[in-house]
Amino acid sequence: MRKVMLYVMIILICLPGSMLFAAGQQEEEMVELDFSSWRTEDVDVYEAIIAMFEEENPGISVTYSPYKTEEYQTVLAANFKGGTAADVIHLRAYGNFEQFAKPGYLMPLTEDIIPELAKYSAQSLAGSTSITDGNVYGVPYASQSLVIYYNTAMYAELGLTPPESWDEFISNLEACAAAGITPLANGTKTGWMDEVMSGVICPTFYGGNDFYYDILDGKTGFDDPKYAGALEKLHSLAEYMPSGFTGLEYVESQMLFLNEMAAHFIGGIWEDSYFSKQNEDLDYDIFIGPPAQKGGAQYISTFMDGSFGINKATPNSDEAIKFVNFMASKEVQQYISDNLGVKTEHPEVVPTKPLLMKVMDPSLTTTPYMMLVSFRYEQPSGSSLIQSGLQALFGGDKTSEEVVADVQKGIATYFEPFQN
Amino acid sequence: MNNKGQTLWILFFIVPGLSLVSIVIIYPLFASLLNSFYAWDGFTRMEFVGLQNFKTVFTQYPYNERFFNAIGNNLKWFISSMVIQNTFGLLFGYLLSRRIKGHEIYKRVFFMPVLLSIIAVGFLWKLYYNPQFGLFMKLFTALGWDFMNRAWLGDSSTATYAIILMNIWRWTGFPTLVFLAAMDNVPEECLESAHMDGTPEWTMFWKITFPLIIPAIMVITVLTLIGSINVFEQVYTMADLDGAPNYATDTLGTLFYRSAFGSQASTVPEISIGSSLSVIIYVLCLGLSVLNILGFQKKEVQL
Amino acid sequence: MILDFRFSHSSPVKKVLYILFQIILIGYVIVIIYPILNLLLSSFKTTREIFTNPFSFPAEWRFSNYVKVWQKGGFDMYFVNSIVITAIAMALVLLFGSMAANGIARYNYKMKMVVYLLFLSGIVLPLKAAIIPLFLLIKNLHLTDNRLSLILIFAAMGLPSTVFILSGFMKTIPKELEYAARIDGCNDLVIFQKIVIPLSMPSITLVTIYNIVPIWNDFFFPLIFISTDSKKTLPLGVASFFGQYQIAWDLIFAALSIAIVPMIIVYLFMSRYFIKGMTAGAVKG
Repeated sequence: MRKVMLYVMIILICLPGSMLFAAGQQEEEMVELDFSSWRTEDVDVYEAIIAMFEEENPGISVTYSPYKTEEYQTVLAANFKGGTAADVIHLRAYGNFEQFAKPGYLMPLTEDIIPELAKYSAQSLAGSTSITDGNVYGVPYASQSLVIYYNTAMYAELGLTPPESWDEFISNLEACAAAGITPLANGTKTGWMDEVMSGVICPTFYGGNDFYYDILDGKTGFDDPKYAGALEKLHSLAEYMPSGFTGLEYVESQMLFLNEMAAHFIGGIWEDSYFSKQNEDLDYDIFIGPPAQKGGAQYISTFMDGSFGINKATPNSDEAIKFVNFMASKEVQQYISDNLGVKTEHPEVVPTKPLLMKVMDPSLTTTPYMMLVSFRYEQPSGSSLIQSGLQALFGGDKTSEEVVADVQKGIATYFEPFQN
Repeated sequence: MNNKGQTLWILFFIVPGLSLVSIVIIYPLFASLLNSFYAWDGFTRMEFVGLQNFKTVFTQYPYNERFFNAIGNNLKWFISSMVIQNTFGLLFGYLLSRRIKGHEIYKRVFFMPVLLSIIAVGFLWKLYYNPQFGLFMKLFTALGWDFMNRAWLGDSSTATYAIILMNIWRWTGFPTLVFLAAMDNVPEECLESAHMDGTPEWTMFWKITFPLIIPAIMVITVLTLIGSINVFEQVYTMADLDGAPNYATDTLGTLFYRSAFGSQASTVPEISIGSSLSVIIYVLCLGLSVLNILGFQKKEVQL
Repeated sequence: MILDFRFSHSSPVKKVLYILFQIILIGYVIVIIYPILNLLLSSFKTTREIFTNPFSFPAEWRFSNYVKVWQKGGFDMYFVNSIVITAIAMALVLLFGSMAANGIARYNYKMKMVVYLLFLSGIVLPLKAAIIPLFLLIKNLHLTDNRLSLILIFAAMGLPSTVFILSGFMKTIPKELEYAARIDGCNDLVIFQKIVIPLSMPSITLVTIYNIVPIWNDFFFPLIFISTDSKKTLPLGVASFFGQYQIAWDLIFAALSIAIVPMIIVYLFMSRYFIKGMTAGAVKG
């Protein structure tokens, strides 16, 4: 009898649950597209874009579902495996994109189905072109550029001008230090920021694109003294960083800069919207990583940050194609550029944000953000090697020669040109 | 009581819980453990390779270096937690069971950090350790202990211990209450008569209380063991997925997570390595736990 | 009460120890209270102030953080979902867990160690490790985007540690009590309900808190399994304040301050079971 009562109890506990959670009824009148993304910050912008699309395309409704960045790849992996991925997918670039392109989860995009694609350069499609089959799987979303922020009020007070060479940069940092201002806000505790710093400072010292292509051809390796020397130059900035910089992470460094407690911040063009939102009174501008010699080639590291792709298994492929074609249009790319402050790749887009105009200056030499663009497809990734290596260098645990030797050794485990 | 009746009772008690755990946990877990015996091309399972993936983890650079580095840190976690956290837990539990003045308040307060989300705790402790404006720095400066002002989380020799300290702060309440619950089960009459006989306090603890709380000590030791081998969130919130700086705080938990799921700022997933690591963690945890359980069982005293 | 540890009537050594212990205990209380206050205070600051003025009172008490959190995307709904899911999952954990622990601790049989190890093998690895097979399982059960999936997962996640801790305590319950009840004609279920459960209340309190906090705070499984906004839970709401490059710490602290309230209520409610002698009385009565 007691047993029966207990079973009744169990059922009573479970029953309301199952009734409560029985799947809700859905009204299917129009085609509903699900659009997944990792950009939780940009909900407003994407909803505005979707509203424009829905106005032009009655009968299609789009839902933007952003997921936490760190877990986004896992969410996509589970949903692709389970066949429940969204129709339109905001894809990360390079290695993170390749892992979904390779197993055939994505729809190859051609100029036949996405006419707008014809306008994009091959370079701007690199982040969404599979290295396995050469197909394009995504419409470029934005590219990021790595720069140096400086506090213009402090520069005016100290009578400084943006540096045109490495030596001028150092003397500006010295001037800040002499005035009792922390010259550089960056710390080294956040690994990917160390890689960002190397992307800003190092190309001019390792020889930019020449070195990059020599690496790809296996004509040289990362143990090239030029590369170690470039890392050493970056390391020399340690004395201008805040005290205890090895324990400072990304956000804390951002805070030092935007609270005017430091004069420079090495970062990405994406910081702009955060800085201006957090401290409206902050006067700042950017300059590009200074060339080794005045008048020498000025390199700006860039990389594709993602693309808009289509789930191959979507039941609504026509509508999804229509939406992605819309995302590729000049209208949307201009809107993204104006509202998110990122550089979009549609050739007809005219940048309106002042900082964007600076990074798009034609006199600059763009150079690939090397480890992300070419060495984040396999393990151990170039990024993980250089990030940990730089932390060891800044922490005094390794010399620059040891760091580059480790990078070379790690990448050589899978990168054939290094294997002989 | 006939045997068949007893079997039915045992089934009645065990089956609901065991079936839920078997379906939702054990089955998926074994399904993914099996992945470690295959080669993988991204998310696609390729041919059966036997123990090849394990060999990679143990012998190939950089996997071997990361693995042994991580397991060394797990060992630091286990030893520090056992020595500091559980010893304090035992002391606090004892004092509370002896109704030291204020025990009603202590009992309620000590467990509170456990209730907080690790997101908030990790964030605040990072601010406390901050080398520019951290609380510890302000404190040490006020005391004139300038030698203590350093980047605790940025220095590879102190970073792991700095995170462990946060966890001890957070978690000491748990062993305290486990020991308190166990000590409260010790029959008062035994202690009272021993007390009347003039038995010294220390002897009473070792001869009466301690043997009777062996099951609780076993529970805490095994949970500390499993917790130390699986430690993840604490490192993730305070030192990122890569165990910054330069893997100084990396543990099997973070290493496994990076291998299985990738890290958005540095690596793509590698399922073969991830699932091999999970097998290793599984075997290590279960094996050591069973050794512990069997070891303690011999020492147990039945009332 | 003669066993109380007191200052008066003690030997000098004990007096010194007593003072030392009190200093440690009070010190620990302060060290615990301060970060909790710090958390609450941070919820009234701007993100910038959390960094520039981290440790003291906010320059201006911004209740607007709470308003923003509550209005943004239906936090009230997330809150209700979280409570319902956590409550049902915990009810299952406690019911099935105490039954299974009883089945392990109070009986002797050959397969006992196997059952015990099966449960134990559920805590040695985080379930996250099995996310892909788990996802396929839930999908085959047609439970994706259904709150029942979370209840099942959370209940299963809580069971192993519950069984492990409770069985450790249940085996210390004296057998004589059970024999006496059997002579009175009680069956196994009555013994479980009237003797084992009441005597295990302190440890049941422990496992409740041990499991309810991770369930309440978990955002990974809801993130993977729930897509409809109206079915989301509180931690998913908190996660939405974490951007790729921008983190709204002001809103996160406000949301976490809201989220901690139910946990403190549950804990204070349950901590009354930590009273010495209560259990003995329950059996006699």
